[in-house]
Amino acid sequence: MPVRSPFSEGQILLPWLLPAGFLLAWLFISFIGVIPAYLLPSPGEVLKAATSYIFGEPGSAPYAGRFYADFCASGLRVLSGFSLAVLIGLPLGMLSGRVPFLQRMLGTSINGLRAVPGICWLPLALVWFGIGLKTTVFLVALAAFFPIYLNTEAGARQVSPLLLQAGAMMGVRRLRGTFAVLLPAAMPHIMTGLRLGLGISWAYLVLGELTGVPNGLGAVIMDARMLGRIDIIVVGIILIALIGRLSDTGLHWLLRTCFRSARRSA
Amino acid sequence: MSRYLQVVQKNPSTVEQPYILDVEHVQKKFGNGDIGEKLVLADIGFSARRGELICILGRSGCGKTTLLNLLAGFIAPDQGTIRLHDQPVSKPGPDRCVVFQDDALFPWLTVRENIAFGLKGQRISSAQKEEEIDRFLKLVGLSEFAAYLPSEISGGMKQRVALARVLILKPQVLLMDEPFAALDAQTREEMQNLVLELWQQLAHTILFVTHDVTEAVLLADRILLFDKDPGRIKEDIRLELSRPREKEDQNFLSLCRVIRAQI
Repeated sequence: MPVRSPFSEGQILLPWLLPAGFLLAWLFISFIGVIPAYLLPSPGEVLKAATSYIFGEPGSAPYAGRFYADFCASGLRVLSGFSLAVLIGLPLGMLSGRVPFLQRMLGTSINGLRAVPGICWLPLALVWFGIGLKTTVFLVALAAFFPIYLNTEAGARQVSPLLLQAGAMMGVRRLRGTFAVLLPAAMPHIMTGLRLGLGISWAYLVLGELTGVPNGLGAVIMDARMLGRIDIIVVGIILIALIGRLSDTGLHWLLRTCFRSARRSA
Repeated sequence: MSRYLQVVQKNPSTVEQPYILDVEHVQKKFGNGDIGEKLVLADIGFSARRGELICILGRSGCGKTTLLNLLAGFIAPDQGTIRLHDQPVSKPGPDRCVVFQDDALFPWLTVRENIAFGLKGQRISSAQKEEEIDRFLKLVGLSEFAAYLPSEISGGMKQRVALARVLILKPQVLLMDEPFAALDAQTREEMQNLVLELWQQLAHTILFVTHDVTEAVLLADRILLFDKDPGRIKEDIRLELSRPREKEDQNFLSLCRVIRAQI
């Protein structure tokens, strides 16, 4: 077997350089006390709050042990919204990438809608769907739809006509050609779209949960602000960053496991 | 020019074979009313025998590639008919396979998977398929590179894969569109020999587009010499040089000279 993409140890450490530097700066600032603790708690306090939030006995202290339930609630919302966006955005993107008529019909409207900031949809969503799961799922799906649709469309449009001709001459017809040639050829773009979509899903999750739902990671942040628990806010932000990053890795891994075109394109 | 052709002995093998491909009065225009139409091919007509190796020779822009696209069924002629075994050609299919000028391998498939691609729909057992793939890997000399991706092999090897993936489908007609134009001189020579070797083993009809006179004289039973603006067949030349041909041979060189003067 040929050798593929060798990587050195330096490249594994490199991504952690910036977070480590940031942590050191934070430690230093808390130590000399230029910013009062009620604005920015020290890393130690945040770690204590995080431990209690994640591992604490529920009820033993405010926010203790709530993480698991919040994570499940938020995860479900992101997963539903993101899946909905994939189910609509992916086929629609493939179609409008290959059918110029559809592209002309949809292109302007979708680009117009894309320009509307997501937060503008919040009041409307609240009226339509009320507070809770449905509003959040709607916002997540809406936000994730655009990067998925646009990237899939670009990917399908840019597939080399030579590959399609090659497929046709070797006897693949429309339906099989879509899965055997078109989809794998557009895979690098599709992957980009899905990863961007999932990233923005987490952002809109928090937006959806700021509206007074009882559980979820966004709800905890908003709740903690009311009670002046800055440490919990920081814990929430760090957890969302971590989970967002992990879900991106997970998605990437899943795509690479399921599709050899994804495995071999990046 | 016939005096050069008569000095060499006749190669009887393909002459008695029946005609399988008929092209009659084919015409193709490009462009629309705004820019003005351009007649790319005017009244093209010829027939190809089974197992014949025909080179389509002409300068760039004379419509050689357009003719190949018509034969492959990628585009349709404005006028005229193309028939293979008396069946009109209307869409691409595995009976008329193309080796493209540029690399058109599927980059997400390994060499082996690329060669296996066309077999997927066919109703033969998987053991038989594996056997066929192994045979064609060996025929094009890539057995050791089966697990490589197209991005990991050289240009010459890519064209070997391109050749194998269509030959495995046993096409009636193999269409080759300047397949070796982008290769270096030595690799090109290797590939020309490979094409001849495979042609002698598998005995398929080949239409080989090239602008290189030496390549055409080396390979062809017959050369269709193309004229430009509009593209049409200027001469239909039967080559009766014995094989294997030597590029330094006097007959070979004088034949090249005569044809070069005609282009």
